[in-house]
Amino acid sequence: MIEARNVIKKYGSVTALDDFSVEIPKGKIGILGPNGAGKSTFVKIALGLITANSGKVTVLGESLDKNSVDIRRKIGYMPEHDCIPNHMSGVEFLIEMGLVSGMDTPNATQRTHEILGHLQMGDEKYRKIEEYSGGMRQKIKLAQGLIHGPEIIFLDEPTSGLDPKARLEMLDTINGLTEIGNTNVLLSTHILQDVETVCDHVIIINNGKLQMKDNVKELMKRQNDFIQVRVGGDIDGFVDILKNNKINVTTDGRILRVPYVNDQTFQQIIDAAVENNCQLYEMERSKVTMDNIYLEVVE
Amino acid sequence: MKDEAQVSEKFAKYDPKLTTRPRIVIGMGLRGFFNLIKLNKKGVWNLALVFLIYLWSIVFFVLMAGEGNVYPCEQMNSEFKYCQPIAYYEDLGLGGIRLFLVTLAAIASGGLIANDMNDKSLHLYLSRPIGRLDYLIARFIPIFLLLIFVTVVPNLITFMTQWSNSGLEFDWIKNHKWLMFDIIIQGIFYSTSYSIIGLTFSTLINREYRAAGAFFLFVYGTNIIVEIFHSFVKDDRVLLLSIAHLLDIVSFKIFKAEYYFTSFGDLKGIELSNIEIFGALTIIIGGCGIFVNWMISQMEENK
Repeated sequence: MIEARNVIKKYGSVTALDDFSVEIPKGKIGILGPNGAGKSTFVKIALGLITANSGKVTVLGESLDKNSVDIRRKIGYMPEHDCIPNHMSGVEFLIEMGLVSGMDTPNATQRTHEILGHLQMGDEKYRKIEEYSGGMRQKIKLAQGLIHGPEIIFLDEPTSGLDPKARLEMLDTINGLTEIGNTNVLLSTHILQDVETVCDHVIIINNGKLQMKDNVKELMKRQNDFIQVRVGGDIDGFVDILKNNKINVTTDGRILRVPYVNDQTFQQIIDAAVENNCQLYEMERSKVTMDNIYLEVVE
Repeated sequence: MKDEAQVSEKFAKYDPKLTTRPRIVIGMGLRGFFNLIKLNKKGVWNLALVFLIYLWSIVFFVLMAGEGNVYPCEQMNSEFKYCQPIAYYEDLGLGGIRLFLVTLAAIASGGLIANDMNDKSLHLYLSRPIGRLDYLIARFIPIFLLLIFVTVVPNLITFMTQWSNSGLEFDWIKNHKWLMFDIIIQGIFYSTSYSIIGLTFSTLINREYRAAGAFFLFVYGTNIIVEIFHSFVKDDRVLLLSIAHLLDIVSFKIFKAEYYFTSFGDLKGIELSNIEIFGALTIIIGGCGIFVNWMISQMEENK
């Protein structure tokens, strides 16, 4: 869907993307990364708003060097910040965005009402946008990105500033509308749960470089329960005993991670410590979450 | 339920047939123009100024045009100040029309880019299949059309009045094709220049009413300062620093007439070379264009 090869983008002395290469498949892709990681820069380059200092980017098989404006017919964009004019109604605004995308008036009008129907906006759609709640404004922002039936939509922090209920509604809406419309999604966010809810794949960027690219389901499998164990004495012997009992152990200095199967696992650890005659200082059940994986990759 | 399913199917199978970039830009421009003359809070001011300009033109240059001011003036340059219709065509300021024209340009152009920058919808426009230049052209079209409507059209009405006074002879039109052509060129020139300057202020000061005020003060403020300054230094090149004088000088050039300007009640001629005049014009209008393009490019890069 999107391919970047050795992309370098500098703002003065700051390097936003540093020899960045990635191949993003079709589907719903999440881009994660801390502030200043280069996520927004990558999205803007993919959208053709800014050009890279070097490297090559292709979107939907078309090179941005040759066709950075016309490619936007196939792309929708939902920016992070509030950017909708307050003086227009939801309907007027969406029709205008449809027309600016190249639709004719009847099509833009029909599609506007279809999308707003999916968004379950009743008569509110005729009210001025300044009267809309935060959640409704986000929905309108999403709708304007989908109005022209793009093949791919770039979503920049779509749940930013929403309360938990509105956030879940927004994620449902994104899932619903993009699935009905067969639209690919590139979701840039800080919120890991958003990626879990919406995306099939995730890429993690930090310091302008690709840190990780994985399937979200595969990552979720890594979200296992484990028991964190801290022991004194002969760790190697302790580990050997556990391995002999067919327990996979990972070590990080004097801290061990033992996969949690059931409460019997605690007894197996105690038995191994007794057998090896080593001190058992700590035993705590824990869980690998997307947050842990993200922090591990970023740090 | 059934209705919902049908809508969903239509939605899923949507095949966008999007038009070309030039059509998008022209469409945006025309919608912008109709917004300027809509009967809403802001449009009413624009329409009122358009009405004033037409009223002024018709009262002073059609209904009250004296017998002694019959066109054509045989010695156009030396008798210039007595040849009212020609003076009217060449110097929009003579009838006080320039005051309305500049006010209209300031009010109408103030929000064109400023509002998009202020509510940040500019980002949405620039994420569509139009480039930065396309966007600028789309914002230029509404103000340009509005100004054409108050420069070329009233002048053509005056032209038609003269034709009528000359007995509605077709030969008269044939012999004065140059005048009609010059009227159109002059209108395009004024409209283009004031539109570009208006859009520059709209971009520079992204608050609609402040941008309009700054535009007005820029045109009239420099005009007064330059005239005072000119009375001290006695160098005609000083006039090039005033956009109003500069545009009038070029306007007179279009009609191949000499430029006179009024300074503290005195009518004064000027001596400037074409290089000086068109150099100053290129620097000012070109500088405005480059500046607006640069400002928009900065917004593209930043949130």
